[in-house]
Amino acid sequence: MGIYDESKYEINEDLEEVHGQHLRELGNPGTWGTGGQRLAIAGCARQAGIDAGLLEEPENGPQSSGGGLSSVAKKVVNELAVLPKDFDESSYQRAIKGGLTEEEFVEIVGIVARIVDLDVFARGIGVPLKPFPEAQSGEPSRKRPETATQEQAWVPTVPNLPEGGDIAKALYGEMPKPYIVRGLSLVPDEMKRHLELEQVQYMPLKHVRDFDHQHHAGLTRMQVEVVAGRVSAINQCFY
Amino acid sequence: MNLDINLDALIEPDLDIGVPGGSELLRFSEALVGTDRLALDAAREVLENVLGAAAIPAASAIAANFSKNDRIANGLGIPHDPVMMKATKDIREQLGLNSYLSAINTLKYFPSD
Repeated sequence: MGIYDESKYEINEDLEEVHGQHLRELGNPGTWGTGGQRLAIAGCARQAGIDAGLLEEPENGPQSSGGGLSSVAKKVVNELAVLPKDFDESSYQRAIKGGLTEEEFVEIVGIVARIVDLDVFARGIGVPLKPFPEAQSGEPSRKRPETATQEQAWVPTVPNLPEGGDIAKALYGEMPKPYIVRGLSLVPDEMKRHLELEQVQYMPLKHVRDFDHQHHAGLTRMQVEVVAGRVSAINQCFY
Repeated sequence: MNLDINLDALIEPDLDIGVPGGSELLRFSEALVGTDRLALDAAREVLENVLGAAAIPAASAIAANFSKNDRIANGLGIPHDPVMMKATKDIREQLGLNSYLSAINTLKYFPSD
């Protein structure tokens, strides 16, 4: 049974599978957050969207208010979930000075970005927001990539080869990757999940420069870029 | 297919972007990441009528994807690369992208000439 079975639209099986997996695994311990903390981040982001009128409250009532999250973490979640266009380096610096580690910050960004993604999709196809799973026990892995270093983002990233070493080869392959791929690499699990969504929602990365490639049955490449361009203009994303 | 694309419509969506179903896609995208649920439901219906049912999950997936990516980019301060900056100089000026708050993440390394 797929998570979007109730939709009147035919949903790509790969996309539905990835979305279902991401939702199920939100409650698992992550790299820096416990399952409970990760769910608190996701719930806080969703509630922020509901409070801002960007999402409709599902039938199971209010989402997490971020219980168990520090006030600093909640602020990052709320700002990024609702107004990414206003998120700047001072937002990041405040978070770090407020006690978040770089690694925690990156994991938060990854989770917020993904839950907003899933919720926007559900809203788009006209189904209720999907319920969260239960938190699973267990400790975060707390593994930081050894070759992560300060490059040009606010946060450390794993460089491309050769500086990034075996970790870079495993994450990126042989060819250098841009920051939209590498940005979350301080927390490789979040980077991988971001790319899983990219492959099924936008297109497999190997086709990005093939402007004749049509990944979606319902839209041409040009029509895809209209949607992408408009959303990014609204979010004032320069990248 | 020869299309006369007007990128200004990405910033001013009432303009004709020059892509089949473009106006409907712009309206749906804006409503999907906006606060007016009635407008979203109406835009969805119009888009489906114009481009067919398959356009809805497709457009929703793209809007979701770039809602994700915009938060990753703006949230981590990632810069664009020099090749892309060179290629997009005119478009960035045309669309006013250099005035975005997030532009500094790139412009501090690659000032726009």
